[in-house]
Amino acid sequence: MKQKLKYFMSRFKERDIIFISYILIFFGLIILFSASKGVITKESFFIKQILWVLIGTIFVYIFRNGDYRSLEKWSYLFYFITIFLLIIVLFKGEGRASRWIGLGWFYFQPSEFAKLVIILALSSFLSNKNIRRFPILFISLIIVGIPFLLVFKQPNLGTAIIFIFIFLGISYIAGITRAQLISLFLFAIFVSPLIWTVMKDYQKERILVFLNPMRDPLGKGYNILQSKITIGSGGLIGKGFMKGTQTKLAFLPEYHTDFIFCLIAEEFGFIGVVIFILLYFYFLDKILEIISISKTEFGKYVACGIFVMFAGHFLINLGMTLGIFPIVGIPLPFISYGGSSLIVSLLCVIILSSIEKYSTLF
Amino acid sequence: MGREIFLRKFVIFFIYVIILRCFYLQIIKYPYYYQLSIKNCIRTIETGIPRGIIYDRNGRVLAKDAPSANLVFVPYDLKNIEKVVEILSSICDLDKEYLIKKLTKKYINPFDRIILKRDLSSKEISLIEENLNDLPGVFVQESIKRVYLFGEKTAHLLGYLGEITQSQLEKLKDKGYQMGDFIGQDGIEKQYDEYLRGIPGGIQVEVDALGHQRRILGKKEGIPGNDIFLTIDATIQEIAYEELGDRKGCVAIMDPRNGEVLALVSNPSFDPENIVLYLKEKKHLEKPFFNRVIKGAYPPGSIFKIITEIAALETGVIKEYDRIECTGAMEIGDRIFHCWKEEGHGWVDINFALPFSCNIFFGTIGVKVGVSKLIEYAKKFELGKPTGIDLPGEVSGVIPEPTKADPLNLSIGQGPITTTPIQLLSLISIIANGGNIWQPFILKKIISAKGEVLKELLPNLKKTVYIDEEALEILRKGLKNVVEFGTGTRAKVEGFEIAGKTGTAQRAATQLELPTYGAFVCYAPFDRPKIAVVVFLDYGSSPQAAEIAGRILKRIFIPEKIEDENETETEIFYEQI
Repeated sequence: MKQKLKYFMSRFKERDIIFISYILIFFGLIILFSASKGVITKESFFIKQILWVLIGTIFVYIFRNGDYRSLEKWSYLFYFITIFLLIIVLFKGEGRASRWIGLGWFYFQPSEFAKLVIILALSSFLSNKNIRRFPILFISLIIVGIPFLLVFKQPNLGTAIIFIFIFLGISYIAGITRAQLISLFLFAIFVSPLIWTVMKDYQKERILVFLNPMRDPLGKGYNILQSKITIGSGGLIGKGFMKGTQTKLAFLPEYHTDFIFCLIAEEFGFIGVVIFILLYFYFLDKILEIISISKTEFGKYVACGIFVMFAGHFLINLGMTLGIFPIVGIPLPFISYGGSSLIVSLLCVIILSSIEKYSTLF
Repeated sequence: MGREIFLRKFVIFFIYVIILRCFYLQIIKYPYYYQLSIKNCIRTIETGIPRGIIYDRNGRVLAKDAPSANLVFVPYDLKNIEKVVEILSSICDLDKEYLIKKLTKKYINPFDRIILKRDLSSKEISLIEENLNDLPGVFVQESIKRVYLFGEKTAHLLGYLGEITQSQLEKLKDKGYQMGDFIGQDGIEKQYDEYLRGIPGGIQVEVDALGHQRRILGKKEGIPGNDIFLTIDATIQEIAYEELGDRKGCVAIMDPRNGEVLALVSNPSFDPENIVLYLKEKKHLEKPFFNRVIKGAYPPGSIFKIITEIAALETGVIKEYDRIECTGAMEIGDRIFHCWKEEGHGWVDINFALPFSCNIFFGTIGVKVGVSKLIEYAKKFELGKPTGIDLPGEVSGVIPEPTKADPLNLSIGQGPITTTPIQLLSLISIIANGGNIWQPFILKKIISAKGEVLKELLPNLKKTVYIDEEALEILRKGLKNVVEFGTGTRAKVEGFEIAGKTGTAQRAATQLELPTYGAFVCYAPFDRPKIAVVVFLDYGSSPQAAEIAGRILKRIFIPEKIEDENETETEIFYEQI
């Protein structure tokens, strides 16, 4: 027992990326158990999430010794398959936010996988190329632009924003110049009025309400307000595990997915929040380390893309629950309920682990 | 390359921002958000404000509370408003526009329960309960309603309950009244609302996000208000209402010995339990809420001849047997003044002129008395001045300035003079009791739940006017003869002596031959007056009014057969007097 504990501590100190991510997953499961109100049935998302964790663990087991460099060859194939799936979703999808594809008993979101696939494709394209050359930058923009438009049309604003983050992160690490960034930024400003007209009304509303949430306390600003109440009422030490009233009585919708952070804040208070954020930062910092030690450009870019993806999710998710950013539907990786997101996150972690391994092997 | 160092700094910066934000929300603003979170899941549901019971003089219940069910919603919990509107409009017969307006309105406290419809039928309740799953935020809530046992018969007397208006709220805020409260909007309910109104009860419940009740945290029983006893006699009130029938007009009955009002009826009336009906169905064109007894100001017509006669006799302008010839018309200056009887009454003295209400006679003596003296007398008998009856909204009527009045018209109660029926009732009561002006009143006493008397109205003698004894005797004799053989013979009750006076007045636009106002005031029994009556018909003649008064008096004093309880009680009243 003591030995085991020692082993875990050393794994934690060594910052084994897979180990840290499992700590986060475990943390997430505890929160989801509370969110399930302790009721464990086949239908509860706590049980479902455990199933997803098991499936993800099988992936981890299969690919634990894989070489990330083989992905470079496959990345374009993955890319085109994903584009194809995104188009299918656009036409076949059901409901207002048509993001899912049904495969028998489970549904998955191609847009979640698209994040990883874009990272791979962009990294693969940019490795050993000079992004400062205009054609290269232009093609990079197209590689991200196509899935961006498809996802934006779904409409899935959150994922689309993550795509932008991924592009910026990878191109930044690949050495994009300040002049290029500024011109891209100016271009975006020029295009944004166009995007505004394409946006769905509810998306526009969200951004408008963000600017003044109290203007409609029961309408569009409801989520922001309820989220703030939930977090604020946690206080220093929280209401205690399983004792949250806001989330339990479902005043906050989607408290088990996009607003899961509120539950942490409500039940574990400010202290719990700080511990959680530090843990997450520990995880992100590890990825930064992997970026710097990676021996190949492809590995560096992929690691950076993954870092930006996790950091983007983390910051935007917390930012929106805290009322710093507008509400865009973005889950908190490892913590929020959701199979596609969890599997993709675990795949990313496997890739990172592989990059780390092959960078020290030489 | 070092670019990842910048990424690290970038992330650390945002983590600082996030932790600061959490510190702000969870530590600095903690009390505020904690309060809000409590408010989110604990709701207080008011179960209504119980009111006191209103009794008549014999302890018969006129108004009381009864359980009912309201359709309510919590704005905070509403979802899918279109569907809710669809379902509710079909179940509860509610206007869609009204529903949309009510449901989408912004409320100050979104956790409050807002009432959509009161007093649901049992069928509506079961239909709503069946569809509850499609109606998030909508409930059936137990409540109380006001029941008026005599319905339309006591509508103007008791008034009705209605939601507090914005202006009322501003006035009554300090007395604990709140938005959405139901308060008395007219009559006794309004006059004594503060006493009748109880302390609201409520339950405190924990609710989930759909507003569904989880458990009851606390319960507070409402405390009913104080009970009220009136001077009204329910039996007489019923008689008055029945005898007035569907004539547009009013009846008021008072005890001339102390000012106790025994009955007060105005028609058209309304159902005080269904006020909405009258507002919806344009019935309000008929002014059903208009209480003619205290709010209607009309020319007194020939009833004013009582004033003219006293003034003339007291000032010595005329003696009992002085005669004046009535030829049916007289010329004054450039105009012709008509008597209502075209062929004229011939030579008449005052004993004859009053019963036959001769205009020429009274016009002649009125001119002799003079306008200022007539007006002085009218004011002495408190015409054109609110009687001070304890009902809201009494008007004063108008006594013209001496310079603006024409002596001929004034002496027969025409022209710019108006009085209310209750003033005429007061006038005849003064004649009946020989000069005492009693303030008419309806409240006997207010009794708290513990049995204490909180308020009691005793007869209030406002003042006593001196009436020359001889003049009073001549006048009373004349009034008796009005019913014996004069214009008011239709009020005659066999074996019973009644003194009264008819009054017919033209509407303002005389050329149009509009229907006249018909009025009759009387007291009985003649030698020992116990009851004074005013009957006023908005469209009718004074003999018709006299007939109604006669029938009422007959039913009060001479019960036909003792068949049922009501009749027995009528007799009891007679014994009491």
